[in-house]
Amino acid sequence: MAQSRTRLLAVLLPLSLLLLAGFVVPIVIVAFYSFIPPRSFEFSSDLTLQNYASAIGDGYWRPLLWSAIGALLTTIICLLLAWPTAKALDRFAGRWAQIATLLIALPIFISESVRLIGLSLFLMPGGGILAGSLDALFGVSIGTILNTHLAALLGLVYVHFPFVLFPLLLGFSLVPREQIEAGRDLGAGRWQLFREIELPLTAPGAAVGALFCFVLSLGANAEMTILGGQVVTVITRAIEQRFSYAQDWPLGAALTMLVIAVTAIVVFPVLKRIDMERLLKR
Amino acid sequence: MSDTVQTARRTKNAQALWLIAVLLMLYIPIVSVALASLTNTRYMQFPHKVWTLDAYRNALADYTTTTLHLTSLKIAVVVVVLSVVIATLGALAFARYEWKGRSFFRRAVLLPVFFPQPVLGLALLLSFTAAGITPSWQTAAFAHLVWIVPIVTLVISIRLYGYDVMQEEAAFDLGANRLQVFREVTLPALAPGIVSGALFAFLLSWSNLPLSIFTTGADTTLPEWLYSRASTNYSPLVPAIAMIATLASALVIAAAAALWVLLSRKSAPRQAS
Repeated sequence: MAQSRTRLLAVLLPLSLLLLAGFVVPIVIVAFYSFIPPRSFEFSSDLTLQNYASAIGDGYWRPLLWSAIGALLTTIICLLLAWPTAKALDRFAGRWAQIATLLIALPIFISESVRLIGLSLFLMPGGGILAGSLDALFGVSIGTILNTHLAALLGLVYVHFPFVLFPLLLGFSLVPREQIEAGRDLGAGRWQLFREIELPLTAPGAAVGALFCFVLSLGANAEMTILGGQVVTVITRAIEQRFSYAQDWPLGAALTMLVIAVTAIVVFPVLKRIDMERLLKR
Repeated sequence: MSDTVQTARRTKNAQALWLIAVLLMLYIPIVSVALASLTNTRYMQFPHKVWTLDAYRNALADYTTTTLHLTSLKIAVVVVVLSVVIATLGALAFARYEWKGRSFFRRAVLLPVFFPQPVLGLALLLSFTAAGITPSWQTAAFAHLVWIVPIVTLVISIRLYGYDVMQEEAAFDLGANRLQVFREVTLPALAPGIVSGALFAFLLSWSNLPLSIFTTGADTTLPEWLYSRASTNYSPLVPAIAMIATLASALVIAAAAALWVLLSRKSAPRQAS
């Protein structure tokens, strides 16, 4: 018994230490900084809520709101796009589906800088890949959506789509084919099949994917820089500005804590309900 | 009857078309990068008047290309080695051993994965600075580990769930000691999981932007350089280096796939017996 406890400790310790030093302690430090007087750098004992007051009062809720709206829209669009994709991939079980799945997975591992640069080169006006080709081939000249909200949203959807698709695909693999066929034999329509069988059974996968997508796009910044032309300031950018140009760490820390709070509100209820083991074990 | 068959066929065709459209959308930006790299004019005017590999020649001759690749490689190698060790042990605690705090541990491990990466990067930056640590590629490697180790732990755990503990017991019954059991039974069975975990670790570190951007200090990784040069000072050198970096990671995927096939073949007969 004592021996197995040492063994457990040995396998548990490295990961626990990493998470403690790299995740828990930094959050505690940020939390502490968020309570010290504005524009100070040293730990001091006079704690204040002033940073939170300026974070909310001085219009810094605006970047947070933009990020939250962007993340929400991205999540909804990704779910709508990933659903038929996962369903189709599940239907075409076999070699072709495997190849298609692999091809969809590969871009995840190409740096998002590369993919976003590609998207901006594609959308560029005048000599861009799309505009230039249309002009050369058909003599049609088109405008561009580059440097708009729409372009940033397109980038967000493009980068985060696979993060929704793969958990959803895992969810679909849990749906027994016989159950759908049984439902169909009993005269269920497409909508009924969706609502009564597919949706409840794939819900855990969809929830994990949506959660992944929301959290990742909540912090996203590169999409707005490369594609959105900074038409709005997103929260990551706002925090970065507080940390670097403004040299106001406490305010930056307070903003960081607000993002962490939003993340926690979304993540904890979902994680609590989902049985990861069931999803992984299959 | 033939009506339903026809509807089914039509749905199937529509689904195939949809998949092709999705794949096209996913690859258009990557093809765009490849096309943009094949010219020598600073301002892109597609279709190019001159198609040339000049940008690649310049990129290969440029010292920056080497430095960027070396920095990214250093970080990725450290991340792969450490994350495989930590995650293999962690996966045993995650999926294999029964213990009291396990379900809490399982959720806690997932938290860094479900956390906005740039925010993690900024929190780490603040902590490093507060602790008097100058950010460099080493601190970036640490930041990568915080995000990547949980993912690798999940990847190895999946393999561990499908693993039959009885094999270990059988080996013990046959008189093997603990080290032998680990080396001869546990490790070979886990090997494919460890290889895919290592591959994930390498690729996620190699391509990471949101953590690196705040934690590398004076050092610059490939994605960081591409990001900063994309918004200011664009030239065909940018897509050319992007293509070189992507091809480098493709080579790693190919090598890992070969290793994976080799290992599964090796461990398969042992599992069967």
